Amino acid sequence: MKPTNKAKPERAGAPPDTGDMVTSTADGAEDAISLEALMAGDEKAFEQLVVQESPRLFRVIVRIVGDDDEAESILQETFLQAYQRMNTFRRESKLTTWLYAIGINLARASLRKSRRLSSLEDQEVERMQPQFNRGMFVETPAVWDPARVTEYSDRQQLVRRGIEELPEDYRTVVTLRDIEEYSTDEVAKMLDISSGAVRVRLHRARGALRKLLDPHMRRLPRQ
Amino acid sequence: MIPQGGIRYLNPKITPTVQTMKFLTALKTALGLAPGCEKVNEFLADYVEGTLDEKTMAQFEEHMDMCKCCSHYMDQYRQTIDMTKQLDDIVVPAELAEHTMFFLRNSEAFSKDEG
Repeated sequence: MKPTNKAKPERAGAPPDTGDMVTSTADGAEDAISLEALMAGDEKAFEQLVVQESPRLFRVIVRIVGDDDEAESILQETFLQAYQRMNTFRRESKLTTWLYAIGINLARASLRKSRRLSSLEDQEVERMQPQFNRGMFVETPAVWDPARVTEYSDRQQLVRRGIEELPEDYRTVVTLRDIEEYSTDEVAKMLDISSGAVRVRLHRARGALRKLLDPHMRRLPRQ
Repeated sequence: MIPQGGIRYLNPKITPTVQTMKFLTALKTALGLAPGCEKVNEFLADYVEGTLDEKTMAQFEEHMDMCKCCSHYMDQYRQTIDMTKQLDDIVVPAELAEHTMFFLRNSEAFSKDEG
């Protein structure tokens, strides 16, 4: 079914804003795709969107589902749904934010279906946060020694395993905010939660990840 | 009793030492006049993001300066973020976009447009 322009708001005479172009860069300087062309169902413009957004969206989906082949299927389904539902895009967010919301929802649905579980439960994430007594640290955190894990590949593996252990909603926030570096507001829109909830979830996720890295990073006692 | 306007030093030539400042900060924390470790920990994400207001930032940094626990924790927190940001372990298939376009062109949505 060809997307229609039924839902396209009347914008005659309105000054152009950033919503008229779909860009992958913060300054909007490159890879600009006409939103009007996308909304009109222009296949060339849509192909440009696929080329521009596929790598990043693929990485986000892989982090959620943990499987490359499954992620590629979900990516394809995401773009198909986006093309079919383009007329439902209300311009209340960036088009890419809307696209990622579709992809993340599909990835989450796939994860639920596969029953692939993270090794940590939400309550464990809570227990991994620093402990306080009367508002002060119960015990002094150890000093970390970056020289303990000097090999780039070892560091990558450590962090990757740590992220994989996090429950999905924490993993997704870390992925979007710290790895893909979307803004807090963009992440909030992608996940349909408040910016405050993103901050809290991100802080807890980092706290849990810190705890998982701690045994590998703490300075060893002198012999 | 602490006089209004803060403590005055009898001899202006004697400036408070770092130790004295730390003691005063610790005292303020104990009296509930400055945030403790738990409160400071809640500010950590906003501090790293640079979104703390000026007053909270000053309180945060004053606490960090005197609290070994919090400064160690912040160091770990920052290293965790740095290590996460450097993660680039996912290999994106070279023909990912081409595969997606092939899929779309074979779907009903695109093929109907062609006709």
